[in-house]
Amino acid sequence: MIEVDRLSKRFGSGDDAVDAVKSVSFKVDQGEIFGLLGANGAGKSTTVLMLTTLLAPTSGDARIAGYSLSSDGAGIRRSVGAALQDPGLDPMQKGGGLLELHARLFGFDRKAAIHRRDELLDLVGLRDAADRRIGEYSGGMRRRLDLAAALVNRPRVLFLDEPTTGLDPASRRAIWDEVGVLRESGVTVLLTTQYLEEADQLADRVAIMADGEIVSTGTPAELKAGLGADVIELAFDEEGVAEEAVSVIGPPANRLGQVVRIPAADGPAELARVVGLLKEAGIESSSLSLSQPTLDDVFLNIVESRGEGVGR
Amino acid sequence: MNANPVGGDSGPRKEGVAFGLQVWLLTGRFLGNAIRQPAVILPNLGISIFFLIVYYGSFGDSPAIVQLTGGNYLNFVLPVTVLFASISGGAAGLTLVEDLESGYFRRQLSMPLSRTAMVLSAMLLGAIQVTFEAILIIALGLVLGADPAAGALGLLALLFFSLLWGLGFAGYSVATGLLTGNARAAQSATFIFFPLLFLAPVFLPFDQLAPWIQAIARVNPTTYMLEGMRSLMIDGWELWPLAKALIAGAAFALVTLIWAVRVAIRKTSRA
Repeated sequence: MIEVDRLSKRFGSGDDAVDAVKSVSFKVDQGEIFGLLGANGAGKSTTVLMLTTLLAPTSGDARIAGYSLSSDGAGIRRSVGAALQDPGLDPMQKGGGLLELHARLFGFDRKAAIHRRDELLDLVGLRDAADRRIGEYSGGMRRRLDLAAALVNRPRVLFLDEPTTGLDPASRRAIWDEVGVLRESGVTVLLTTQYLEEADQLADRVAIMADGEIVSTGTPAELKAGLGADVIELAFDEEGVAEEAVSVIGPPANRLGQVVRIPAADGPAELARVVGLLKEAGIESSSLSLSQPTLDDVFLNIVESRGEGVGR
Repeated sequence: MNANPVGGDSGPRKEGVAFGLQVWLLTGRFLGNAIRQPAVILPNLGISIFFLIVYYGSFGDSPAIVQLTGGNYLNFVLPVTVLFASISGGAAGLTLVEDLESGYFRRQLSMPLSRTAMVLSAMLLGAIQVTFEAILIIALGLVLGADPAAGALGLLALLFFSLLWGLGFAGYSVATGLLTGNARAAQSATFIFFPLLFLAPVFLPFDQLAPWIQAIARVNPTTYMLEGMRSLMIDGWELWPLAKALIAGAAFALVTLIWAVRVAIRKTSRA
């Protein structure tokens, strides 16, 4: 349903040129939810902007819902839906009015447009707010309306660019539920996110982007399995102490704030080694646990191994 | 959570929506928003009415001026205040800047919509606002004693010219709004209106102007629009001034439409 072939985007020219996306290729099957993970500036949103025809690629091509990006942008626009990072909504309009207008613009007749509007308001739980101006909506309500607007044309492919960034946990959970409904209805979804828990929860497969490139692809389970069977987690009272612990333990230990996580093939054996090293260095942890790896560990491991910071 | 997001009997048209329907629907949205904030046109309407009253009050009783301008100064000056209302067409550019700032313009670009339709609908909003103001100004002019030689049909022709002129001015403001993407810059760009209006036979007939102003006025499309409108008020149905006004107005609207569409295409490098 989505086939991306060596897609690149360069901004600027000469010495000031920045390669935001570097020859990215991937494939998303029909009905699949594909997560594109990466820190800020990794190239996720630029990739989505190109695939939704909003930004012309520098080179490469893609086929989306059967249409070529290079030769049939209009076909793509008719067949896909997109909820981008910043909800593109007219604050002066009423929520219901906006959905009805979009349905008319996609070719629904007046009666069908009203039906579609009501269907979508029910889907995202905004029926009661249909007659309120969008400018009065909360951040979570705007996101949900934005998602509804992306679904007006019954898209075969849906792009969700960081759909829950900045939302409170309840609103995030509501969006996840709605994506779950989409999964059941067979829509192909390309989702970008900085929340690894989100990708773990929703995506069938995940690609991790760093510095404009895809550096790892697989199911969340495959990526986690590649890291080892266990993860040791140590918490420290201060970030400086956690940093010192990382240097004492060495790779693949990685730090997020005051917490140090160490992926390990044999957790208990590695735990004994780590405790010994810390004791030798005179470092004390405030807590210690052994758990299964998460996508956070995969992501941090890749980012650390590339010597990049985590922009979160 | 019970609706099927992709199923259903009715659905979007595979071939997309006709250009005319796109323009109709998009203009409807702009108008709906404009009606929700009527205060936007009030300052300009107030200034236009103020000028009409002040010009008429200052010069309307001067025998020399009345003689120079054809017998009824109100007939002479009413088209000026109608053209002054065309600055309201600048609201079209500001509306698009608001759409750029809210991200709604980008959402529309992700839909199967023609960029020409997006630009033209904003221009039509400006033209409709200008025409609405022109109706109020003409009504006030009639109350004060304006007496159009071309009769009621002539007033309709006057409104048509104001719509055409408003369309052109709205196109200019849309292009500058898209170019700058900034409300303040778009607003500042409307100041071009003042030299365009005042370097024309605004207060006196063309042959009474200083030679250097005549030279500029000769290439200023406002001159032909103004003289066409005045001919309806003072002389009745005179073919040549009306034809020149029609050509000047249509050319102004067409040039600014093409410019605005080209800017829209250049500023949005979509695939």
